[in-house]
Amino acid sequence: MSTQTPDINEVPDVPVVKAGMNRRRFLVTSGLAAGAAVAVVACGSDGDNNATSGATATTAAAGGNTTTTAGGGGGDLAIAAGAAGLEVLAVNTYGAALDAAAAGDLGEVPPAVAEFATTAKKQHQDALDAWNGVLADNGEPEVTDPPADLETTVNEAFAQVTDPAGVAELALMLETIASHTYLDAQAMLEGGDARVLAASIQYVDQQHAAILNFVLGEYPVPEVFQSTDQSIL
Amino acid sequence: MSIDDRALGELLTESNDLQVDALRVNREVQPALADIGASRKGRPVDLDRVRSVNTERRRILRNGGFGMGALAARGLLGGAFGAAVLNIVARPVGAQENVDVMILNTASSLENLAVAAYGAALELPFIKNGNAVVKAFAETTMSQHEEHSAAFNAQAVALGGGEQNETNPKYTPIVEDATPGLTGPAKVVDLAATLEEVAADTYLANMGLLDDAETRTLMASVMGVEVQHLATLLAVKALLAADAGDLIALPPDLAALPAAAGSVGFPESLATPDMASPPEEGAVQ
Repeated sequence: MSTQTPDINEVPDVPVVKAGMNRRRFLVTSGLAAGAAVAVVACGSDGDNNATSGATATTAAAGGNTTTTAGGGGGDLAIAAGAAGLEVLAVNTYGAALDAAAAGDLGEVPPAVAEFATTAKKQHQDALDAWNGVLADNGEPEVTDPPADLETTVNEAFAQVTDPAGVAELALMLETIASHTYLDAQAMLEGGDARVLAASIQYVDQQHAAILNFVLGEYPVPEVFQSTDQSIL
Repeated sequence: MSIDDRALGELLTESNDLQVDALRVNREVQPALADIGASRKGRPVDLDRVRSVNTERRRILRNGGFGMGALAARGLLGGAFGAAVLNIVARPVGAQENVDVMILNTASSLENLAVAAYGAALELPFIKNGNAVVKAFAETTMSQHEEHSAAFNAQAVALGGGEQNETNPKYTPIVEDATPGLTGPAKVVDLAATLEEVAADTYLANMGLLDDAETRTLMASVMGVEVQHLATLLAVKALLAADAGDLIALPPDLAALPAAAGSVGFPESLATPDMASPPEEGAVQ
């Protein structure tokens, strides 16, 4: 599986952020009780370029009030970094699937499946750009690596994929993890703009999941209330 | 149309099981919510919060939110209805009102309208006797909206407010006006998609307005379901428009689906709440 770094310069502008969101409003002084869980997300990557540890994010979010709790820390920027890592993983996975399709490794790929992967990849890239824009505007490095543990799991699963249905199943797993995580974040995010951004991506990821369910022959709306079972927070 | 009725039935049963689980969880947290609500009763009004909501409200209006532009573009706004809608949208939040409860009441009003609309659609001959997948979807979706309304009402009561059992005052006349024109599945799907988008956009906008974390989680959870209704309806709408209604089946004939079916269900990378209803629109008076 490719883990190439997305080229941020190729990512189009993101409408929600352009439409008046003041990224500085993401900065909140956070006293998150769930700091350890947030740190799991923020520290998910082994990459040297990965943006923030929980503690680093807390430093920024608290305007200089460094949180020193071991393994803890948190705040909206930590969640933003964790979300960006998930988006990197999604972009890379869809990119790898498209590469495999182009190489003929997946057999005959129906046009609707190819269109899905192309569009979903772009939309996850836009979501990644949005989170990285938030991080950059707050003096944090952009996230370019996925969470290492999840990447390993996805790579192992991808190695077993031999057809479009396998791609759809893997994609559904990723979309579910992402949308459940964004829903879970609603109770933790302090900034209103951060919550709206997270929800606006949850919105689209759930739509991806509905179409993937349909493609796989499953009922497209399987839950009455979306759960957080697959959240990584 | 090719459809595996037994498989569809199994999927719906599975969906119902998930529904039962979700309701159980919801009931389990209600006592805690009631305690929170009791502790908040009689609490002084937070004027800063009222100001904050009204500021956010103006921002959404400036950005074309609260559905006005989108409704006009769809030909659903004009004349006396337009004036009535504008009156509702123009009313700011007052200092005496509990914003979270108003938001929950408005959400229930939208859910109640969706229940009524799907119920009416299921009486139409071309739905009742039409595509089995579309009919099953309408029945299941109506039931899901009923559960959403009940959950929002329970939450409103838990926070010290009242239940909203009426349909949304802004969209009810619009739906009633549109009903005689529902002469085929495509028009029904179009109207249903509009109602789903209004609900989902409203809940999305509310993530920036809601004070109570439990309410936010509940509303975002429902939003996650409404957007799946919307994506499904957009895909169905596209297939009907392409005269490919026979492809609306479970499981689908993947190879025969047009490429657009793979992307029409999610037109935006980041959803914008341009069809959102304002907090007080469906508040209990």
